[in-house]
Amino acid sequence: MNRPLNPDLDLSVSRLIKAPRQAVWRAWTDPRCFEQWWLPAPAKCKVVAMELEPGGSFVTQMSEDGEPFGPHVTGCFLAVDDQERIVFTDALTGGWRPADHSFLTAVITFKDHPQGTDYTAYAMHRNQADRKRHEELGFHDGWGTVTEQLAKLVERA
Amino acid sequence: MILSLMDHYQERLNGVFQALADPTRRAVIGRLGHGPASISDLAKPFAMALPSFMKHIHFLEESGLIRTSKQGRVRTCTLEKKTFAAVENWLDSQRALWEGRTDRLEHFVLSELDRKDRK
Repeated sequence: MNRPLNPDLDLSVSRLIKAPRQAVWRAWTDPRCFEQWWLPAPAKCKVVAMELEPGGSFVTQMSEDGEPFGPHVTGCFLAVDDQERIVFTDALTGGWRPADHSFLTAVITFKDHPQGTDYTAYAMHRNQADRKRHEELGFHDGWGTVTEQLAKLVERA
Repeated sequence: MILSLMDHYQERLNGVFQALADPTRRAVIGRLGHGPASISDLAKPFAMALPSFMKHIHFLEESGLIRTSKQGRVRTCTLEKKTFAAVENWLDSQRALWEGRTDRLEHFVLSELDRKDRK
């Protein structure tokens, strides 16, 4: 599938990971592994659901500063191609049910590379209105709010 | 040239997010949001030794979020608004988030491999 990058809404992060594709795939798809890298320490991640099939539920929670776990990602897998591709969105929840809020669709690809694995995360975000809403959520309300928002931004998908 | 500038920018942005990942540093930033303050005033609400507190101040200064200046015996901290402006860019903050995830994934996979090799 060809996805022209919309410079205002999309981003792509690629990395050559010097490890076999199978190992990178496992780090993504084994919940106990995934929990160890999805969020930056000291925040903690808990995988509540990772049903690796189209329509499967994808739910993670996070805990910061010893607080109880709260929502992080609540979404749905759109495609899971073994050791090749994972697509998820938060526009739907498990079983294709429409979500209240939607923000992004992410396409993660894994390709063999002579030195390891060619890993790419491609994220598409909804629209300018979301951006505006995001900005209205505090970015322009003075520094106190800005800093709170920034702290939250550290991990918000 | 452009690429290395982008890399540098990215690195800086990651530093900013790391700096904000700590509750003490967030509280300091929150306080400085109301205006510049001396280090002794900033340290008051925290039950920690001054050297530990200074580590947080240095971290914030290195990340570019604050700058400090000394007048006589008093060192004053001020928010560095330019850095905040950079983080305000919405898509860049998302990119920093994905860069961070990718860094951690890479680190996790490599350390797992390393662990297996040693067995």
